[in-house]
Amino acid sequence: MCVAMVVTVVSVMTGFLDMLKNSGRQIVGDVIVSSGIAGLPYSDEFLVDLKGLKDVQGATPLIDTIGLLRMPYPRGNQKEVAHVQVWAVDPISLATVTDYANDLYWKPAENAAAALAMAEDDPRKNLSEKILTDGKTLIQSKTGNPGIALGIHVSIGNERQRDGSYRPRYGWFMPENDVTLTVVPVSSQGKIAEPREQIFPVVNEVQTGIYEVDHNRIYIPLKEGQRLLRLDEAPLYDLNAEPDAQGRYPVIGKTPARVTKILVRAKQGVSANSLRAQVETAYASFSKRINADLTRNAVMPDYVNVLTWEQQLRDLIAPVEKEREMMRVLFSLIYLVCAGLILSIFWSIVVEKTRDIGILRSVGASRLGVMWIFLRYGLVIGVLGSALGVLLAWLVVRNINAIHEAIGSDAPPTIWIGSFVLTGFFAIGLLYSIWRGKLLRILLWLLATLVMGLIATFLALHHGTLIWDPSVYYFTSVPDQVDWITAWTTAIGGVVFSVIGAAIPASKAADIDPVEALRYG
Amino acid sequence: MADHQNHSDQTPPLIEARGVRKTYSFGAVPVEVLTGADLIVHPGEWVAVLGSSGSGKSTLLHLLGGLDRPDKNGGEILFDGQPISVSHGKRLDGYRNKDIGFVFQFYHLLPELSVFENAMLPGMVGNWMTNRSEARKSASKLLDSFGLSHRLAHRPGQLSGGERQRVAIARALVNSPRVLLADEPTGNLDAKTGEGILDLLAQRHANGLTLIMVTHDPAVAARATRVVKLANGCVVQSSPSE
Ligand SMILES: Nc1ncnc2c1ncn2[C@@H]1O[C@H](COP(=O)(O)OP(=O)(O)OP(=O)(O)O)[C@@H](O)[C@H]1O
Ligand SMILES: [Mg+2]
Repeated sequence: MCVAMVVTVVSVMTGFLDMLKNSGRQIVGDVIVSSGIAGLPYSDEFLVDLKGLKDVQGATPLIDTIGLLRMPYPRGNQKEVAHVQVWAVDPISLATVTDYANDLYWKPAENAAAALAMAEDDPRKNLSEKILTDGKTLIQSKTGNPGIALGIHVSIGNERQRDGSYRPRYGWFMPENDVTLTVVPVSSQGKIAEPREQIFPVVNEVQTGIYEVDHNRIYIPLKEGQRLLRLDEAPLYDLNAEPDAQGRYPVIGKTPARVTKILVRAKQGVSANSLRAQVETAYASFSKRINADLTRNAVMPDYVNVLTWEQQLRDLIAPVEKEREMMRVLFSLIYLVCAGLILSIFWSIVVEKTRDIGILRSVGASRLGVMWIFLRYGLVIGVLGSALGVLLAWLVVRNINAIHEAIGSDAPPTIWIGSFVLTGFFAIGLLYSIWRGKLLRILLWLLATLVMGLIATFLALHHGTLIWDPSVYYFTSVPDQVDWITAWTTAIGGVVFSVIGAAIPASKAADIDPVEALRYG
Repeated sequence: MADHQNHSDQTPPLIEARGVRKTYSFGAVPVEVLTGADLIVHPGEWVAVLGSSGSGKSTLLHLLGGLDRPDKNGGEILFDGQPISVSHGKRLDGYRNKDIGFVFQFYHLLPELSVFENAMLPGMVGNWMTNRSEARKSASKLLDSFGLSHRLAHRPGQLSGGERQRVAIARALVNSPRVLLADEPTGNLDAKTGEGILDLLAQRHANGLTLIMVTHDPAVAARATRVVKLANGCVVQSSPSE
C-alpha cells in the first residue's frame, strides 16, 4: 500500500517534471540565444556558423514579442481580443529545432486505421493535406498570403473532448477564419512606435501540450514579424548629407534585418550545457568578426543571453521540482510509518508466538532457524507488498487520465443507484443479523451498510471536480509514465524495511531461552 | 551423594549432572532451586526423579535436556562424557534435536500444525536440507504404534490429553534419541490413561531406550528401574527399585 502510494505520487510528479522538461525542450530547443529589443543583426550568417558546429542539429531565428489578437467571434458587442505571445518564425527551420511540425493539430489522419479511430464528428476526418502544409509553411496556399498559426487554446473555438481531441465550439473552426494581429514596434532606443496591425488567415493550430504555451502563443512568418516590428531590412540614410528637395537624405546602404532570439537544437546525446558553451564561443567569435568588418552597417551587441532550455524555463520547472521533493519527503514519512507498523505487527506476532518459538527451540531449532521463519515472513510480505504496490501504482499511473476523468465528471447513475441497491442489501443483512442476534455480525453489517450508504450518497452528490486543472498545471493531460527509478527504490526499500521490521522481533525471538519461552501462555 | 550403582559401573554413563546449581533471581530475591545436584544415568536405565512440588524436578530435567543452563560455575551436564554446555548454539541445538527427546508436563504441541506435522517437527527443524522422508516415515510409524494413525490430520486441540501426550512422545522419539526426558508424563492424565502412557514408555525402555522421568507420584516412579529423590536442591537418595 505504502509502496503504491509513494510510487504513484512520485511517478506522477516525476512524470510531470519530465514532461515539462521534455516539452520545454520540444518547444524552445536546447539552447536559446536572446538579445535585447534591438535584436540581433546578421542572424543568417550566425546561423550558418551555428550549423557548422558539430553538435548542432538545427538552429532557427525568431522574434519573440507580445501582441493583441482580435478574434473573429464576438464578446459582448465587440470582437474578442486576446493577449498573445507572438513568435515570428521561419517555420521550416523551426521544425528542425522544435516539434513545431508535429505539434500542428489540424491534419488529416495518417492512415485508414487512424481515421477509423476518430469519432464521427471529428473535423479532422474531412481535412486535406493542404491544411498541414499551410501550417508547416505559414502560408495560406489558397491565396498565397502569409498565415498565422494559433496555440490551440488561444481561441475559445476549440473544445477538448474526453479522448483529448478537439471539436469546434459554436461552429468556430479557426482555420476558416481571419484574425487581426496588433503589435507594437520598439525602437532600438526603447521608444514605442505606432502600433501596427495586420489581418492574417488562420492556417492551423498548434498543440504543444503545455497549457501556458497553447493558451498564449501564436506563430507568424518571420518576414511579417520583422516588417510589423520594424526589424526588417531598411535603407540607411546619410544624415550628415544635404537632404534633397523632398527633404530625404541620400541612401548610403542598408541596415540588416534583425531577430530577437535564436533557438539551437543539439544533436542526439549532446547535453544542453555543453552546447551552450559552444554556442557562446561561437557567438563571441562571430561578433568579433562582424564588428571588425568596417563595411557593415550594424554592430553585434557585445552581450547576448545564452541559456539552456532548463535555465530559460527555470521559473516553470523549479516549483515543480520543489513540489516533487516535498511530496517525496512527505510520502517517505508515510512510508517510514508503514515500516514502523510492520515492525510492531511482527513484534506482536513474536510475542504471541513466544511459546511456539520455545517449542521449536526445545526440539532443536537453531536461533537462525527461528529467525529465518520470521525473516521469511518479512521477505514474503515485503516482496509481495512491494510487487502489489508497484503493480497497483503502475495501473493507477497508466490509467490516471481515465481515473481523473472519472473523478472529474458526474458518477454515472447506474453506479450510484447500484450502490444504493447494495446499501439496501446490506441493510437487509443487518436486519437479519439483528434478528439472529450475533453481535459481531450485527456490527459488521452495520459497518458495511454505513460505508456503502456513504459511498452511494457521495456518488449521487458528486458532480465532478477537476483536480488536474490544465490552467494550474501546464499540461493538458496528467503524466502517465511510471518513474521506474522511484518505483524500484521504493519497492526494494519496501522489502528491506519489512525484512528489517521482521528481523528485529525475529532476533528477539531467537534470543529467548526455550524454557523462558515455554513459560508463556 | 554419588550414585553408586549395582548397575553397570563399568559401562560409561550416558548422561550425567555434576554438582549442578540453578538459581532463579526473581527481582532482588534469588531463589536457589538446585544447590549441587549430581546424577549419573547409564545407558538402558529408567530413572524416576521423585520430589515434592517446587523441589526443582522440572528445573533439573530442563538442565539435563539443554533447555536451560546451570548457573555460572554451577556444575555441568555431560552427555557421553562431553559437557553439553561448553558451547551453546549449534551444538546445543543438535543435542536437543538428536541426542535427547523431551516430553513436557503440558505437552507443548504447536496448535497450528497437524498431529503428524507436530510429530515430525524435530525431523524438520534439525536438518532442513536433507530430505524429510525419513522423519515422515519415522513419525508415521511411531504414531501408528501409538494408535494415532487415524488422527494424523487433526489439530492437537481436537485431541484428548492422553492422545496429546502420545503425540508429544512420538515427537520426542522421532529422531531416535538415546535418552528420553519426560516431565510428569502422566501428571495431567487419569490413572488409566497414565497407565497406558507408562506402558508405552516401558515398551520403549525394553527396546533399549534410556529414560529419565520426573514425577511426584511414587506409584508412577515404581515403574522405573531406579528412583532418585530430589530435596533441598540435591539428589538425596537413590534406590534401585527392581
Ligand atoms: N523462571 C523462574 N523464575 C523464578 N522462579 C522459578 C522459575 N522457574 C522455576 N522457579 C522456581 O523454582 C522452583 C522449582 O521449580 P520446578 O518447576 O523445577 O519445580 P517442580 O519440582 O517441577 O514442581 P512441580 O512438581 O510443581 O512441577 C519453584 O519454586 C519455582 O517457583
Ligand atoms: Mg515441574
